[in-house]
Amino acid sequence: MKTITIDPITRLEGHGKINIFLDDKGNVENAYIQIPELRGFERFSQGRRAEDMPQITSRICGVCPVAHHFASNKALDAAFNVEPTIAAKKLRELMYCGYIIYDHILHFYYLGGPDFVVGPDAPAAKRNILGVIEKAGLDIGKEVIKHRAYGQKITAILGGKATHPVCGIPGGISKGLDKNEVSEIKKMVDSCIDFAKFSLKIFDDIVLQNKDYVDLIKSDPYQLNTYNMGLVDDKNKLNFYDGLIRVTDQKGDEYLKFPGKDFYKHVIERVEEWSYMKFPYLKAIGWKGLTDGADSGIYRVGPLGRLNASEGMATPFADKEFNRMFETFGGTPVNSTLAFHWARLIELLYVTERSKELISDKDITSNKIRNPVGKPGEGFGVVEAARGTLIHHYKLNEKGLIDKANLIVATTNNAGAITMSVRDAAKGVIQNGNVNEGLLNKIEMAFRAYDPCFACATHALPGGMSMQVDIYDTKKKLYKTFHQ
Amino acid sequence: MKTIILGVGNLILGDDGIGIHVIHHLKKHIENKDIVLDEAMTGGMNLLDKIIGYDKAILIDAVNIKEVAVGEVKRFLIQDFTSVHSCNPHDVSLIEAITLAETLGDKHIPKKIIVIGIVLHEMPLEFTETLSPKVAAAIPKAVEAVISELNET
Repeated sequence: MKTITIDPITRLEGHGKINIFLDDKGNVENAYIQIPELRGFERFSQGRRAEDMPQITSRICGVCPVAHHFASNKALDAAFNVEPTIAAKKLRELMYCGYIIYDHILHFYYLGGPDFVVGPDAPAAKRNILGVIEKAGLDIGKEVIKHRAYGQKITAILGGKATHPVCGIPGGISKGLDKNEVSEIKKMVDSCIDFAKFSLKIFDDIVLQNKDYVDLIKSDPYQLNTYNMGLVDDKNKLNFYDGLIRVTDQKGDEYLKFPGKDFYKHVIERVEEWSYMKFPYLKAIGWKGLTDGADSGIYRVGPLGRLNASEGMATPFADKEFNRMFETFGGTPVNSTLAFHWARLIELLYVTERSKELISDKDITSNKIRNPVGKPGEGFGVVEAARGTLIHHYKLNEKGLIDKANLIVATTNNAGAITMSVRDAAKGVIQNGNVNEGLLNKIEMAFRAYDPCFACATHALPGGMSMQVDIYDTKKKLYKTFHQ
Repeated sequence: MKTIILGVGNLILGDDGIGIHVIHHLKKHIENKDIVLDEAMTGGMNLLDKIIGYDKAILIDAVNIKEVAVGEVKRFLIQDFTSVHSCNPHDVSLIEAITLAETLGDKHIPKKIIVIGIVLHEMPLEFTETLSPKVAAAIPKAVEAVISELNET
């Protein structure tokens, strides 16, 4: 049989490329992760009909189409000066919960979890969903597949299509739910609640009961003492779909709370010559380089960022788990990067419980799902994508066409933190010029915790995570290269 | 025999969308209730969901093979690919997704999965709906390759 090997690195120039620079003693001085950024979105959008933006932007990313769809939709609500109806908001949020259900399940069981379930030192070929099933059993595999599919089914019923929704319109949503659909969703949601609880139990049994793993989670290379950011409701409880952006400090206290439209009053982006990525930071704190602590404006978003930035979960079981996590770590905030996995499962439980509330709500079958739009203007839309705060900002002209469009994606918000986590993981495995074998894995664990979603083609012929690490000496001469 | 022909790629990312452009052209040539033409701006698990239940799947996608000229059309079986990586860190490979489904005893995976690849050398990084001339010129060859594949059993 013919075998074709396509080098992952040449396939997408610079993707997942990590450069590590050593000092004259052979220890890590700096480490940089290089990620290509898609260009020209503003020009591409200019002159398009604003109401097409939820469809167009959901195609930017094969991973977060629902998050883009609704960030865009909310930006249009604001730009057309219209408040969606109560039923429309609830339908959108329910659909959003479906997306978080399948996205978080995929991450825990397929991508992040294998490091723990199969083990951080297991060979790369085993650290995947097949390795998880080999260890945990076929029945668990079937449950994983089933509940991921439920999340997608809920999204598809509400959104019209499984991957790229077509339902969102300014002022509401184009399709409501009938009674049959409600009972179908109810059944799936009940099952998802049990599965989320089961997933937390797996995390307990496999990770928290294992001292080596707990030590790893609490070890120095995986700690970052940054600010945290996430959307909260009026009681400062975590919310994915709506609310104010809350930022907490290193003590867990509120530092800022503001609506999405004020984002650029508080956050500014730093451009570094070595990277395509922009590094957002808190304006009033300032840029102190890639460093953590109260004097550095770098913040984290995503599951752990969100839990740290909120005062609890709005549903009972998830709130209990929220408290348990912080108690286990000895208070707020939790700074361990690997705790992102735990936070993600608590969020999974929250969205399943929240789905149950929404699908049981009397408004959910209402046919008042759209309000008429006002005059076109300017608008911001903010949601919490699975991997962090996502913002769309549009300016429309008087004909309702796009004049300016700008997006701040979740992984960009985490750019500084991801870079630091990669550097610190590298420091832990490179000493005096000696490179430990676990290098690639330890680095991968560091950035995988964030579940980053790099600008990418949705291009198919797929594979796992690709990565290349180049290590340079003090004269910037290539010292060693690792591939995976 | 039920067949799905699936164009894969991103329509707003230039040449990356070639697979879907080919599907649009194929619609003029194929009218058969046992053959479904569809597009997938996604990968991995979602791609598996699309092809499950069919006897045969033909994927049309961009591939990067440096040794072959841009715009050439190549035919592969899915098994030919061993270390094909996704650019997307939040997904598994189609091959991994298929292996998983097989492990769990799924009986609905297509028996034959063919890839019609249109060669690119660089993945596009700029938003556009326009194909580059060399890649656009590959459309008739790719259409022909798919049709001759349909004639095979």
